[in-house]
This record gives sequence, C-alpha cells and structure tokens, in this order.
Amino acid sequence: MSFLFGRARGRANAAELPKQAREHITKLDGAVAGATPGTTKADELSKILSQMKQVLQGTHESEPSPDQIYQLVLSIIEEDLLYLLAVYLHKLPFEARKDTQVILSYVFRFRPPTAPPKNEPPALAYVLDKRPQVLVELCRGYDHKESSTPAGTVLREVLKNEAAAAIILYDDGDVPGSSARGEAGIVRDRPQSGNGVFWAFFDWIDKSSFEVAADAFTTFRELLTKHKDLVPRYLSVNFDLFFSRYNTVLVQSNSYVTKRQSIKLLGEILLDRSNYNVMTAYVDRGEHLKICMNLLRDDRKMVQYEGFHVFKVFVANPHKSVPVQKILLMNRDKLLQFLSHFLEDRTDDEQFIDEREFLIKQIRNMPPTPVPPQR
Amino acid sequence: MADEGVASHYQVLEELGRGSFGVVYKAIEKATGEVVAIKHIDLESSDDDIQEIQQEISVLSTCASSYVTQYKASFLRGHKLWIVMEYLGGGSCLDLLKPGNFSEGHIAIICRELLFGLEYLHAEGKIHRDIKAANVLLSETGKVKLADFGVAAQLTHIKSQRNTFVGTPFWMAPEVIQQAGYDFKADIWSLGITAIELALGEPPHANTHPMKVLFQIPKNPPPRLEGKFSREFKDFIAQCLVKDPDHRPTAKELLRHRFVRSAGKVEALQELVQRKQMADAKADRIKLPVFYQETLHNISPKDESSEWVFDTVKSVVPARRGTIRSRKPSPSYALEDSMRKLDVKDGPLQATTPGTVRRLTARRQQSSAHQGSVRRASNISNGSPRASIQPKRPLQPDLSFGNTGSTMRLFRRVPSFGSDSDRHSGSFEPLTNENRQPTSFQSQPVEPNSKEAMLGRRLYNKAIEPSLDELHAQTAASAKRDALARLSDAFALLDSVDPEGSYHFLRNLVATASQDTKLNAAILGSQQPPPPQQQQQSKTPHDGTPQGTVIIKSRPPPPAMAPLTSPSKLVMSQDNPHVASQRRRKESVAPEGLSPTKSADREQRDREKMALEAKFPGRPAVPGMEHCKALSDLLYTRWTDGLRARWGNLATA
Repeated sequence: MSFLFGRARGRANAAELPKQAREHITKLDGAVAGATPGTTKADELSKILSQMKQVLQGTHESEPSPDQIYQLVLSIIEEDLLYLLAVYLHKLPFEARKDTQVILSYVFRFRPPTAPPKNEPPALAYVLDKRPQVLVELCRGYDHKESSTPAGTVLREVLKNEAAAAIILYDDGDVPGSSARGEAGIVRDRPQSGNGVFWAFFDWIDKSSFEVAADAFTTFRELLTKHKDLVPRYLSVNFDLFFSRYNTVLVQSNSYVTKRQSIKLLGEILLDRSNYNVMTAYVDRGEHLKICMNLLRDDRKMVQYEGFHVFKVFVANPHKSVPVQKILLMNRDKLLQFLSHFLEDRTDDEQFIDEREFLIKQIRNMPPTPVPPQR
Repeated sequence: MADEGVASHYQVLEELGRGSFGVVYKAIEKATGEVVAIKHIDLESSDDDIQEIQQEISVLSTCASSYVTQYKASFLRGHKLWIVMEYLGGGSCLDLLKPGNFSEGHIAIICRELLFGLEYLHAEGKIHRDIKAANVLLSETGKVKLADFGVAAQLTHIKSQRNTFVGTPFWMAPEVIQQAGYDFKADIWSLGITAIELALGEPPHANTHPMKVLFQIPKNPPPRLEGKFSREFKDFIAQCLVKDPDHRPTAKELLRHRFVRSAGKVEALQELVQRKQMADAKADRIKLPVFYQETLHNISPKDESSEWVFDTVKSVVPARRGTIRSRKPSPSYALEDSMRKLDVKDGPLQATTPGTVRRLTARRQQSSAHQGSVRRASNISNGSPRASIQPKRPLQPDLSFGNTGSTMRLFRRVPSFGSDSDRHSGSFEPLTNENRQPTSFQSQPVEPNSKEAMLGRRLYNKAIEPSLDELHAQTAASAKRDALARLSDAFALLDSVDPEGSYHFLRNLVATASQDTKLNAAILGSQQPPPPQQQQQSKTPHDGTPQGTVIIKSRPPPPAMAPLTSPSKLVMSQDNPHVASQRRRKESVAPEGLSPTKSADREQRDREKMALEAKFPGRPAVPGMEHCKALSDLLYTRWTDGLRARWGNLATA
C-alpha cells in the first residue's frame, strides 16, 4: 500500500517538487564545511529527486501520468533546476546522482503529447535558446569522478541533437559569437580561441582517471562523428588548433587507452566522407605523416595497428603532396622492408593483409623523385 | 589518463582464476588491509573491446547492492586495465559444483538470493544477460552475489528493449536468440537454466554443440527438471522457463514462489564452501599458487638504426620525437627492463652468427649449470596438473594478440611479389618480433623446413617457453629469476636460429635422463609420460583429457568444437555491433579455464592457419593499378568507401 500512498502524495506535489529541490540544493554548499547538517539536507534532496524520478518514469507497477509529467517538466524549467542539478551533480549522494541522470535524460527527451513531433522537446529548446550553460556545466561534470558517468550519459543523449552539439563546440566564454547567448548567437566562421568547454575535453581525456577519461572520450567521439554538416565545417575553420592539440595531447598521450582510441578516432574522422576536405588537408602535411610513421614503430601492437589505418590514407592518397612524397621516398626501402613484416601474425585479418600489400605496391611504384600533385 | 601510480596502493597476491578476458588476482589494499580481487585485463590482446570494458565498468560502478559484487576502482597500468572488486572467498557456483551437485535446499537459498539480486538490477534498468553458475559467487559466509557484468546492458528507459545477441548459448532465453527484442525477463530464463545446472551439474543440452543449441532452444519445448526433485522445485523451474517472456514472472513475483519462500538461511551455504575445501584438500595433488609477477617482456627498446629518416625536411619537431623515444612505462618497468637488457647483451650465449653444433654444446653447458632449474621446469610440466593448463602465461600476455602469436614465425606470410623475403636488413626485427626481448642476433628466424625443425619449434612454443614462463613467474629471488630469464633468452635464440637443434637437445636430454634411474623416477615420474617429441605429436591423449582442476563431464568434446568459427554467421548479421563480444563469449561457452577445449581451439586455429597459408601462393595478384592513375583514383575511392562501411559500424557500435 505504501506505493499507493507515495503516488498520491506525488500527484499532489508534482509541480512543487522542483521548488523544494531548489531550496535544498542551494544549501548543499554548506555541506563541505559542516558534515552533519549537509548530510541530512542531501538526504531530503535525495528523497525529492527519487520522487521526481517516479513521477516521470512510473514504476514496474504503475504507469506515469502524462499530465503530471508535463507539470513537472515545466516547473523544472521554471526553477532553473536543470542548471542547478548539472552544477551540483558531483555533490549529490550515490543514488541521487543516478536519479538525477534519469530525470535529466527524461526531461530533455520529453515532448508534450499534443505538440507536433517536429518540435524540439521544450526543455531542450529552452536550454538551446536561453540557458546553454546547462550543457556546459554537464560537460564540467568531467571535473569530478562522481559526476562523470551520469553527466556523460545525459550529454551523449542530448548531443544527438545537432544544435546541442553546436553549443558545446562553439562555447567560447563571453566572446562575441560564442554559444553562451544561445544557439542563434553562434558565429561559425570565427576561429575558436581554444578556451571553450570543448577544448577542455582534451585534458579530461588525457589527465583524468580511467573511468572519467574513458567516458569523456566516448562523449568526445560522439561530438565529432555524429553531425555530418556541423563538424566538417568546424574542423575546417579550426583545423590547425584542433589537430595540433589532437596530435600532441591525444595521439601522443602517455595513456595507452587514450593513445589507441584517439588514433582510431583520427582514422574514423579522416575516412568519413563528409570530412573529405579535412582529410585531404590532413594528409598533405609532412609532420602528420611523421607522427603516423612513428606510431607504426610503437611498442604496442594495437597502437601500430591503429596507426596503420591512418598511415594507409597518406599512402593511398593519389595526390600526395611533395613533402609527403619526400618522406616516403626517403624511407622507401625501409618502409618496404618494414611493411613486408608488419604485424605478420595477423594472418586471419584478410582485409589488413590486402591493405598492407596495396600499400607496398603503392610505395614501390612511386616515381623516384617527388612529382607535384595534379588535381 | 594519469593513474599509473595507483597500482602501488595494492599488494597483489596469488592468482584466483581466469575470466572471459582477464586474469583475476587476490590482493590487499595497503592502506586499509582489505582483501580485494583485482581483474587484470590485457587491452593489447583485444581488437575492439575497450568500449565494451568501459560499459562493464559503468554498469558495475552504478550498482550498490549486497547481491552484486561490489566494484571499487579501476585504473590503467601500461596496457593493462586493473579492475578492483570485492573479494569473495567461496568461489563461483561452478567451482563449488565440482565435488558434486547441490541439494535442493541449497539451490533454493541460492535462487532466492539471485532473485533479490535480479530484482535490484531490473529495478535499476539493468539486464545481466549472462546468468550462469560460473557467474554466481559465494562469500565464505555464504552470501550469494552476481558477478561478471561483461555483457550487461543498461536500459535508458525502464520499459525499453534490447536486440543484441549476447550471453552463453546454453543459458540463453529463446527471445534473445531470436533477436526479437527482449527485456529483463531474459535473466529469469537464464536463472531457471542455472537452477537446473546447480541440480544436475550441467545445463540442458550440454551434450549438444553450442551452435546447434541456438536452434534448439527456440524450437523445442522448454527444458524441464526431471527426476526425484520436489514438486515445488520443478514448478519453480517451469515458471522460469516459460517461453513467452510476457507470461514469464518477474523476479519480484518469483520471490513469492513457495520454493524460495521456504528456503533456509544463507549460512547453510557455508557447507558448500567447506565441501569444496575438503575436496581440494583430499585431492592428492600439488597445488602451486601462481603468484603475480610484473610483466617483463613489455617494452622493447628502440633500435636507433631503424628509426625513420626525416632529417632533410626541416620541419621536424624534435620535442615530439623525443617524447616518443623517451616514453617509459614506469620506473619499476624501466629498472627490470634495463636489467634484462644487460642480460641479453652480456649473456655468454649471444654469439652473432651461431652454428648449430656450437649452439648445442653451449646449451649443454648452460643447462648443466642450471640443472636445478631445469629439473624443476620439467617437473612442473610433467607432474603438476596446473602447469599443463595451456593459456597460463603470466610473462607473455602479448602472445595472445591477434591469433596465436607463438606460432607466428612458423607460418610466415610470403609476400606475393617475392623478393622481399630474401632481403634481410635485420633492423626491423625488434618490431616484427616484439613480444620477445630484443635479441642481438642479426638474422631472421629460420623457417623450419625439416620435420625435426618443425617439431623443435613446436616444442619450443608449446612446452619450453610456457614452462620457463611458468617457472619464472613462480620464482621470487631476483638472482634466480635472472638466471631463468637468461635461459629463456638463450632458448629463444636457439629456437629462432636452429629449431632442429632444440629438438635434438630436448630429445637427448630426455633420453639421457631416462637412463639414470633416480632421474627417471624424479623427473619423468612413475606414469612415464612420452618423450617430449611424441607428447607434441599426440594431441588427443594430453590435450583431450581433463587435467584434474576442471570438470568436463559431458561438455562438447573438442572435435565438436571444430566448426565453431563459421556457423556463427548464420545467426548474427555482420552489422551486429556485438559480434566481437559474441565471438569472445563463444569461446567461453564451455566453463572458463577448460584447458582441453582451449588447446583444442588452438590446434584448430593452427590447422586453419595452415589451410590459409596453403592458399597464398596461388592467390591472384592484385591488378596492376600502378600504371593507370585514373584507375588508381577510382580504386582508392572504392577502397575508402569499403573502409568507411567497416569503420562506420565500429563507430556506431
């Protein structure tokens, strides 16, 4: 019977819950200083969040009421609770963090049954226009081990929306053209300063503990691979900044996982059709080839293997730039010798074997002196 | 990811077992003194699993229930991921089944506890997807906990469904196999199968080939528990094994079933733990705990002469190249590494161009100097059942990379355009042969071309190297380890230069040893195992028989495993993002640690490789696109398209 009672009470208070949550959440700041009062505050807050989750989601036994949900969502927006939850996520207790993740995901996804399906969910539309800081603060969840998983989970769902991804890519503080004033204020052709929240991902991936770094990388990959109009343009405008950070921080990271995953992602980015211009610009640079060739000689086989899938783009490129040709020619004999024994034990990877043979042929048949590419 | 130092917070003790993709060690957290279990996952040995492992960690780290093994931390150490978990001293239910099947009373308690665990998971929107006895752990006090979340799923919404095909065939629910969308009810089916497993020692259809089972489960009526069991128990299982998931009860509903309602206290399960301990004590065999050892063959120092030449291009970034070269894993690696380097360079046996006969003599001297170690080595490989478990190679995790790395030199791929294989600059050797310590010999490994040489190489790969590794892992004193490492290097050298020599050497060694009665008794034992060369040839008696630590009962015999690799395609579409994990799971279809199956698997892969190899000379050459720029362009585009199709899958996975 207790759940009936809980639901009845929840129904009466659904719209009131966000207000109560807001009151409790702002008191969490004191939690660091005095432990005991903070804990009870956190407990009460946890209860409210758990109730909110139940209103939204229902339980296995009871269906949620659409009306209640709509009231709750509106009230959450009104109380600016999305922002507060994002900011204070890492201070919440274990269960409350999970509840918050469910609440945020749900609210960002929620469409009133009467609204036309083309419209963006109201909470998401509100954040994109008026409160982009919510998304920025969710990213900052990676500052703390506690908040990285719930924040990352919410982020990845929200980032399926292209405008939301743009908010994060173009966040650049108060600079004009930054996304800080909503999606409409973004100036896409303005090069980024490199101080926005997107650029913090490089450090989160490289410097955090495994759990945080791995989650941050997953989000980073989503950001860079999901949106086929947004990202190519972004990468073209910010080509030098992006790839210099990418190559120094990620590809040459001391962390095995960061290194291996970022080489793989690099290959994915370059071979995405929508990134054709980015790819051609990338494989024109001799320095990029050098980094890549050094990866082939890494101590770890999987790093070599992932490096190979970037290296092949340089070699297979029919319009190789002169610097690239020079490097390949200078190392021609070494490369031929090297490739003929490269990862020999991958005998069941036929595609790899074919590709390796193709590269050997390409290198072998290069003209002896660099030829300026004709396009 | 800056957490290299965290590993030093733990004192790693002996090996507990091997899971689907990692070795589990017992360890002590130094700060608290708490005993924990640490799973070491070698990330180098898997192609695409990093994200799956992340998934496992994220599911685990959001669980807080006394019915689920508690996750504590995870961090990277080189290319190994360490996952720190709560330690459960009772072992898995599969282990506990070895002395005999469980009584109904015990099963009822376990089922109730598992239902509590599932109730928690399902309320959290999680599906375990791999419930089986091997994944149910007991504490020494009898607490029951769910473990191994390797394929668990997190649903974003409480009512959403999954389509991915994961799990272990015998325990899989019909709707999972049919990929028609399933939810948490799939776990209930697996629980029913697990209950049968606990009662009978094995799941239904255990004699059938696992791929065939995949067709039978959806087609046949659900399995029933037969025999002299109570009506309640039989009904409980029948409830779990309702084929239509909509009519299958939830965990919460099953908790009201009479079978579990009348179950006793968890403390009664201590009997099972004690029974196993008794059985272990009675079993008359030497149990050598395998202690954790830092991997030695980790980093091969760069050979300066083999660096790429970038010099004439002025835009070289010196700092970058510096970083690459100076990258050292950690001080502790570096120290041992430099010691090993000394060994290799200063070792007495590292002549540059060795002749067969000289090598052999030199080896004899070496082995007589280390007679004690050699005896111990052969003792282990012949006497102790544990040492014969093939995949146990603490020193050489890299060998499992790709396919069986240890045989890579045996079947070297010959490039279709010939001449390259004749050119030996040698400077690339450390790269192609990376998991060995870089050696100073200048020639490529010899291709074995006589029967003796083939056997010699096989002997080295299958017996000498693993035994040395095993022994090395068990040796603590650094001087002894040092000596062993030298022996290992020397053997590696002999193998690469003259596998035939190592064959003759071992043959002579065994022959001479068997002539001395005392040696014969001490080393070769009373059962008189065949001399090494025969041991290698006759796979079935040695690989096929249970080695004591494992139960086989009526698992699919090795021959039945043979067609395992291809039929999987019948069931799974290529774009199934979990194909890789399925492949891995499939290998663990038989309970983990089944050495016969694994080595049979390896045999089979060797055979496959041989077959593949046979195809190479006749392969049509890739059309000569190099003359025609336009054609080359076209092919390039097609090629990148193909890659994209492949990589696109990975991206969405």
